[in-house]
Amino acid sequence: MNLLNRRSMLKAAGTSAAASNMAAVELLSQPAMADELARSGKNVILLWLAGGASQLETWDPKPGRPTGGPFAKIQTSLPGVEISELLPKMSTRLDETAIIRSLNTKIADHGQGYFLMDRGRRAEPGIEYPHLGAILAHELGQIDSKVPDYVSMYTSTEGRRQGSAGFLGARYNPMFLTDKMIPEDIQLPESISDTDHRDRAALRKTLSQRFAQRMNHAGVGSHENAYERVRGLMASDYLFDIDREPTAMRDAYGPTQFGQQCLVARRLVEAGVPFVKVARAWWDSHGQNFETHRELCADLDHCMSTLLDDLKQRGMLETTLVITLGEFGRTPKINGSLGRDHFANAWSCTLSGCGIRGGTVFGKTDADGQTVTEGEMNAGDLFATIFSALGISPDKEYMVGSRPIPISDFGSEPCSEVLS
Amino acid sequence: MIPATLKKTNEWKSSDIVFCLEHMAEMERVWFAGSDFNVYQYDLSLEKPERQPFDGEGHTSYVTGMVRQGNILITCGYDGQLCWWSIDERRLTRKIAAHERWGRAITTSPDGSKLYTVADDMLCKVWDSTTGELLETLQEHALQTPHHYPSMLYAVAASPDGKWLATGDRIGHTAIWNADSLEKVAEIETPVMYTWDPRARRHSIGGIRSLAFSPDNNEIAIGGIGKIGNIDHLGGPARLEVFDWRNATQRLEIEDNKKKGLIEQIIWSPGKEWILTAGGDNNGFLTFYNAETGDVLHQDGQTGHIHEVSVGPNFDELVVAAHERLTKWTMQSEPPKPASDETSKEESNSSEKPDNN
Repeated sequence: MNLLNRRSMLKAAGTSAAASNMAAVELLSQPAMADELARSGKNVILLWLAGGASQLETWDPKPGRPTGGPFAKIQTSLPGVEISELLPKMSTRLDETAIIRSLNTKIADHGQGYFLMDRGRRAEPGIEYPHLGAILAHELGQIDSKVPDYVSMYTSTEGRRQGSAGFLGARYNPMFLTDKMIPEDIQLPESISDTDHRDRAALRKTLSQRFAQRMNHAGVGSHENAYERVRGLMASDYLFDIDREPTAMRDAYGPTQFGQQCLVARRLVEAGVPFVKVARAWWDSHGQNFETHRELCADLDHCMSTLLDDLKQRGMLETTLVITLGEFGRTPKINGSLGRDHFANAWSCTLSGCGIRGGTVFGKTDADGQTVTEGEMNAGDLFATIFSALGISPDKEYMVGSRPIPISDFGSEPCSEVLS
Repeated sequence: MIPATLKKTNEWKSSDIVFCLEHMAEMERVWFAGSDFNVYQYDLSLEKPERQPFDGEGHTSYVTGMVRQGNILITCGYDGQLCWWSIDERRLTRKIAAHERWGRAITTSPDGSKLYTVADDMLCKVWDSTTGELLETLQEHALQTPHHYPSMLYAVAASPDGKWLATGDRIGHTAIWNADSLEKVAEIETPVMYTWDPRARRHSIGGIRSLAFSPDNNEIAIGGIGKIGNIDHLGGPARLEVFDWRNATQRLEIEDNKKKGLIEQIIWSPGKEWILTAGGDNNGFLTFYNAETGDVLHQDGQTGHIHEVSVGPNFDELVVAAHERLTKWTMQSEPPKPASDETSKEESNSSEKPDNN
């Protein structure tokens, strides 16, 4: 984000806050110039491993233990660091990646676990917290952007995990793709020409402004903002069209839907979309955990490594943070169906690229993966770390009415060991 | 003879998963292996048998298959290794890197001279069981599923006359081979055994988990699981299909929604009267089907998914390898009833026939 745009956003936020759906939200303090620059041009791609991937079959293998399962561990390009043999491509690409093996988030229920890992804090009566994508769209996006601030691709598991922008307002809800790779209804109907559409927009704007002068209501401004963005969003449909990519690039990402969505994600962040979520479902392997991970890890390994390579070759990895995360991990105990169940006491995630000290493995679990023995990290700490990696102060506060709300959960701390 | 009674008589619990076993009823010995990578012997004549481990640097992952040739055990595992073990000395005698991917199953020719192994490199390999020499490699099964994910080759079986070999994979494809020329002679498709969820879960489950030729060598029974709604669990019907393999003509199609899960093993009675299937979901089942009609003759279950069954020579004793336990069952048979009684029995059982749709 350039400085001019950032200033435009702050100005717009300051002058129209009372007339928008963000009316209750004000920045407690104006960000410093250095803070603005630190966030300039940053993007995030969240690879959401929906359903809960097994840490034992990915980033924290325990072969030879009763809980270890059948798969071996393999040496990575980092001395002394081993990951599951199901991730051979990623084993050679950890130079820009930090593995966190010590998440203890305690909640092992899909709904509540999703809430926690999507917002970095537990639910609280009386306030609706925004999810990570909405916060980062707010922090990293441009008020006058011609592209979406936040795109979420979630085409599996009934598309039920949409999340909410909470007190940040509907402006920061995602463009949500649940059925197709390309957003529906953003192209002009054949019956309307572009000139007609522009004329209609001008008329609507005139009428809307008159209405706003008479009705001093928060919703009016938000409504107006939404229309202002329509033309920009309509013009961004090409970003979702991977046929515009060279064949070699499409082949590199591969034929799976996850691969294609990762390619879309790269196109989006390249065009300036600050936050893209690609949900890869469904890792909830209560039965046949090892067969499930054999399939899904192959997809994750290929797509994640291709994405990191692509971002690196384009010089984008320094400004793009790639996260792998889900709502929880899976039990060390193997059940009768050769499955693993929900487990949130000792699991793993990764952070790659922007602001991350690559080649880091943070935290430890015990020999059987039952407990965190070193570097315990909760959801708030992880979010504070993500914000810090992006140049966003984890101590920043929003004002919701008269109540200051820290951007990271109360008491959370960024993990300096994984930050560059 | 048809099974009249089936009774679990012993259960030995453990902390690991027992995937495979061999059983010698007359010596009251069981050899087994599983998720702790080791091979063990049990003396079942003892009131409280203790595990007697075999020595040697054997497998480094789950041991998934075991056969016995006289006083030699041969095992395969997820580490791709084939290991030979002396029963008399209880030690490893030979170890071969057999496959580049996870070994799934092993069987022998009826005369014991050859070994057949299958693995997730999607290859079936033929070995000299005495020398360990690789004799041939059979390549037929696709490396990837139609949805671009790694496939798996789970099952292998040899016909009783030793002339035929069958291999079955995750997507429901079975190949029949001439065991002498090692040429493929037939193919059978059982696509219902592979569930691909294109929308909600976006991965697959299932596969052919068991194969068995009929005693007359003319038919092959194929076991797995039917279509599953929620593929997070093994909540689908146990599925058995029987084919005249030369014509790829299906003769039986059975789905059991009472005892759900994977059919991990199929055993035909010597006279082709019945078919025993064993497997399960979170728990295990043993189901005897009338081999002619597909009717359930007898069914029972146990705690712990069943991975393999060893039947005594007189078909009066079963030893079961299962999740965190071994169990022993006794079975008593009765001769077939007169035709008139059989007819009335079929009529009375018609309402209990499993839903085959």
